[in-house]
Amino acid sequence: MSDFIRPIPSTIDLYQEGDSGSLDIAKIGEYLEEKTHIPFHNRGNLYKKIPQKKLEEIAKELARVRVQDPGKRFVSKAPFQGEVDYERSRISDPKWKIFGILYEGVLYKKVISDLIFKGGVDFECCPVLFTNQLFGTWDRDNHRYHARVSLYGFPNLISITGLVIAPAKPKEFYLKKQMGTPVEWLKEEYREMFLDHGDSRMTEVLKGYGMQALLFHLTGDPFCADRDCRLFNSHWQEEVLHSQMDGKYEFCPRHEKILKGLRERR
Amino acid sequence: MAKKKHIFTPVSEKEVTRAIVDGFARQFIEYVESDCLIIGGGPSGLMVGRDIALKGVKTLIVERNNYIGGGFWIGGYLMNKVTVREPGQKILEELDIPYEKAVKGLYVADGPHACSKLIAAACDAGVKFANMTIFDDVVLREGNRVCGAVVNWTPVNALPREITCVDPIALEAKFVVDSTGHDACVVKKLEERGIIKTAGFGAMWVDRSEDLVVEHTGEAHPGLIVTGMAVATTYGLPRMGPTFGGMLLSGRKGAQVILQKMKRK
Repeated sequence: MSDFIRPIPSTIDLYQEGDSGSLDIAKIGEYLEEKTHIPFHNRGNLYKKIPQKKLEEIAKELARVRVQDPGKRFVSKAPFQGEVDYERSRISDPKWKIFGILYEGVLYKKVISDLIFKGGVDFECCPVLFTNQLFGTWDRDNHRYHARVSLYGFPNLISITGLVIAPAKPKEFYLKKQMGTPVEWLKEEYREMFLDHGDSRMTEVLKGYGMQALLFHLTGDPFCADRDCRLFNSHWQEEVLHSQMDGKYEFCPRHEKILKGLRERR
Repeated sequence: MAKKKHIFTPVSEKEVTRAIVDGFARQFIEYVESDCLIIGGGPSGLMVGRDIALKGVKTLIVERNNYIGGGFWIGGYLMNKVTVREPGQKILEELDIPYEKAVKGLYVADGPHACSKLIAAACDAGVKFANMTIFDDVVLREGNRVCGAVVNWTPVNALPREITCVDPIALEAKFVVDSTGHDACVVKKLEERGIIKTAGFGAMWVDRSEDLVVEHTGEAHPGLIVTGMAVATTYGLPRMGPTFGGMLLSGRKGAQVILQKMKRK
């Protein structure tokens, strides 16, 4: 088990933020447990046990980490009361559907980390948050923020909305959209080639992202260069669908061996 | 030979002038102080005005143009059809504005019909207007609470200062509403004074921006309610396309916030 840089967690804790639509988080947990023999806990709404006073503090923190301009480096500013009110409403409602704000991913993770770990980090569990909100990270190459599907660490963040928005759709989709074809028609034409909000394939696809989170916990590297492996770091929707649903195998031989070793060890 | 009767009662020019001046002056004096001063007579401002005036709130809308209604007369690309997404059509029904279903969840109405009905609804509710009047500055009190606006005639503001050195005047109110669209004039004035810092609006994202605009509608600063597209500018939300449901619902939410705050007071 020389691949492991951290102890095997005793549980995989799955959290949820906002309305997760058709996503079945328990099924993702069952899949991870089956593949690794690490038990999972479906913890449900991240904010359910948080007292009202603490919710107000978290709302302020979340309002502070909004990306105001994706084309500029993040600058922290004192939030408006209106922004704090919005965040409070959002985190107080486990079925909150609205999204569209881009949050600074690393800082967002810090807010969630403080909430789960209460200031420290515990390697005994592997927490994964499935959120319907959008977060991004600064791209040093083209000097702008990009929305991301996942941000691995302690905890791991996986954005259901990010999975629809971040990986690029087929090039023809954008060309036809630019030429004025209505988006609804394009969605119909290219339906099989990308994921949309509420897509029935979401649970299956996110099983692979859950596994990436666990691999990050164990090895520090969540990805695989093999595009047939579920750990492939996809940048296009077609790659997402291929690696998660139509690959030659679920995991490449190297990662399959790691998972087998993990099962035998448990 | 019988003398031909006039259709209209003979009235001299001076009587016409007196009627205009007297009518204007009486209303203006009364509304130098109001409960709510709305800057911007577009769809969200009209909606706020209509809803609060129906509850007896003394309301004045300041509009820089001669015409009221803002962009509600026309939709995108100068085409005079306006669209609203579900549940915005419920407000069209409430205002007795005819509409058709375009696709599931999207409705289309004639701009002139929708806009004129909304203006009429605001007037019927008791809203008064100061059109051709431009917002110039805010009136601030203790704790930088916004409690009025400094205004001037639009033509005065449009001409060079050397020609029209005319001082503005101030209007007071318990609440001021910024419904000036993307410009967010009132909020920007507070920013100029270093009191707040806006973010400017993001890229156009019709699918999401309407929800966000409505959810962020409210008191952005003590005494200042922000509605409509000014909300997007204030909070850096995605810019909205030519669909007006968000404007109407944002106006309605702004009205609810004002009514709640007035009740508490």
